[in-house]
Amino acid sequence: MRKAGGKCLALGLFAAGSLLLGVGLGSVSISPAGIFSALLGGGDEGIRALVLGLRLPRVVLAFLTGAALSVGGTVMQSALENPLASPFGLGVSAGAGLGASAVMVLGVTGAVGAFALPAAGFAGGLAAVLLALALARAFDSRLSSVTVVLTGMVLSLFFSAILDLMSAMNPDYAQRIGLWQMGSFAARGWQGVWVLLPVLLLCLGVFLGRARELDLLTFGDEQAQAIGMDPRRSRRFLIALVAVLTGTAVAFAGIIGFVDLVAPHVARRLFGAAHRRTLPAAALLGGSFMVLCDLAARTLASPREIPVGAVTALLGAPFFLLIFFKKRGAARC
Amino acid sequence: MLKVEKLSCGYGGKPVVRELSFTLSPGQRLVILGPNGCGKTTLLRAVTGILPSTGLLELDGRDLRSLSARERGKKIALLPQMSPPGFSFTVWETVLMGRYPHLGRGIFAAPSAGDRQVAEDCLKKLELWPERDRPITELSGGQLQRVLLARTFAQTPEIILLDEPSSHLDLKYQAELVEALKSWTAGSGRAAAGVFHDLDLALSFADTVLLMDRGQAVYLGDVKGLDPALLSRVFEMDVPAYMRASRERWEQLGG
Repeated sequence: MRKAGGKCLALGLFAAGSLLLGVGLGSVSISPAGIFSALLGGGDEGIRALVLGLRLPRVVLAFLTGAALSVGGTVMQSALENPLASPFGLGVSAGAGLGASAVMVLGVTGAVGAFALPAAGFAGGLAAVLLALALARAFDSRLSSVTVVLTGMVLSLFFSAILDLMSAMNPDYAQRIGLWQMGSFAARGWQGVWVLLPVLLLCLGVFLGRARELDLLTFGDEQAQAIGMDPRRSRRFLIALVAVLTGTAVAFAGIIGFVDLVAPHVARRLFGAAHRRTLPAAALLGGSFMVLCDLAARTLASPREIPVGAVTALLGAPFFLLIFFKKRGAARC
Repeated sequence: MLKVEKLSCGYGGKPVVRELSFTLSPGQRLVILGPNGCGKTTLLRAVTGILPSTGLLELDGRDLRSLSARERGKKIALLPQMSPPGFSFTVWETVLMGRYPHLGRGIFAAPSAGDRQVAEDCLKKLELWPERDRPITELSGGQLQRVLLARTFAQTPEIILLDEPSSHLDLKYQAELVEALKSWTAGSGRAAAGVFHDLDLALSFADTVLLMDRGQAVYLGDVKGLDPALLSRVFEMDVPAYMRASRERWEQLGG
């Protein structure tokens, strides 16, 4: 128990530390004391504007996005009993991207636009995951890891191609779509936070309420059913909710890969496979990881910004290879 | 307690089990024998409700198909053929999952002290208590098989169906498995039905035999009444000669 408590404390400190670093570091460095006084409405006015108007919304949105993608990845992997599945890999992100870009190009703005973007992201994400699963099932009714990963990859490439086509046909939006496709938290303001925060809390609550079902789903349909649950109905519901969550996140932040794949693995390694622990741990780990990646994205090549999706991919791709080949190696012996 | 009549089922419109009937009474231990591909696993899956089927399927006078998944999980448990686990739950967490159909619903539904006690007893009965904190991904095939059996016991069903439960067990645990199942069914109002490939183990486990050939029952009755000639015909080999040769090899051991 003491060991587990220590790990929780370490994770909490890691999350708090990354948030402080994210808000504190940049073109102007702000000390933790400066951050706290700005939060409480005191201190230098310029610093307060920087913290509350720019850095904090950016860092919080990055944290929420990382958490949303990681929670989505955790649920997706368990629901498909496939440690290599992820919303990004199944084309949710690319589908959501397509939906959100359509909204940009069609020029829905104003009060409707604020909700049109996440709504279109969600619809695109859901459509993509349903299509990916239907295709994968048509090829291989057992939905094996390799089929799911390959189908998702092909669909993602296909959707990306349509996105490219859209930006080529609409040069006015090309830069916006292009930047968005690589993911960024620059100048997003508080709007994204206020939409994503309730969606994340609601989804996380529902997933935690169904943590035992998720536990059982990892053992496959036959065992889950033999213990007394309805795996198909449960899986449909959970995956639809993952599409809501990740679709909303992608709609604000753009396409950011690998967090949804990596964070669940690290969370399981540290806190075990039981979802009542894995889900919150993945949320905190993924959120912190995203804040640090975003920090790297805006400071490493300052004053230029690197797309945050590039940073997560640079770190995540080698990790993906590691688990993929480790798994295959284990299957062989 | 369990009544199966003219049960038919299959995959993709192709019938695998055809008009098969049998019953299970309290205390009974039934072994399902038959060559590969004759429909044994399919039959178990249909009885558990995993696979849709036609025909009568009744438990204590109630249509099994009308029960919710949870209600069914409280009454019938299936120990399926083993596949390697992908996620690193601990032994304790895995066995506690057997209590799922008995838990309440919702976010605050947690195993009670009683649920934990059941899981603990099952782990102790199968000598797994010292292993309770190990991740199941690190267990040997035999250990994992026993953990899944403990989970099946923790489900406290009336009927346990077993699909080749001894396939990963060494001799000692095969014998212990049979003893555990015998004591589980004895005088308790509970019953077990299992598919066994080891004929000798099958006969030490069961009091009743269901012999299947191409999806149909060719013998259903007392173990002692099973005709060796019928076994030879179904398995397309001289079963008595094989068993005799096995016994002779055994007797020649040690000079």
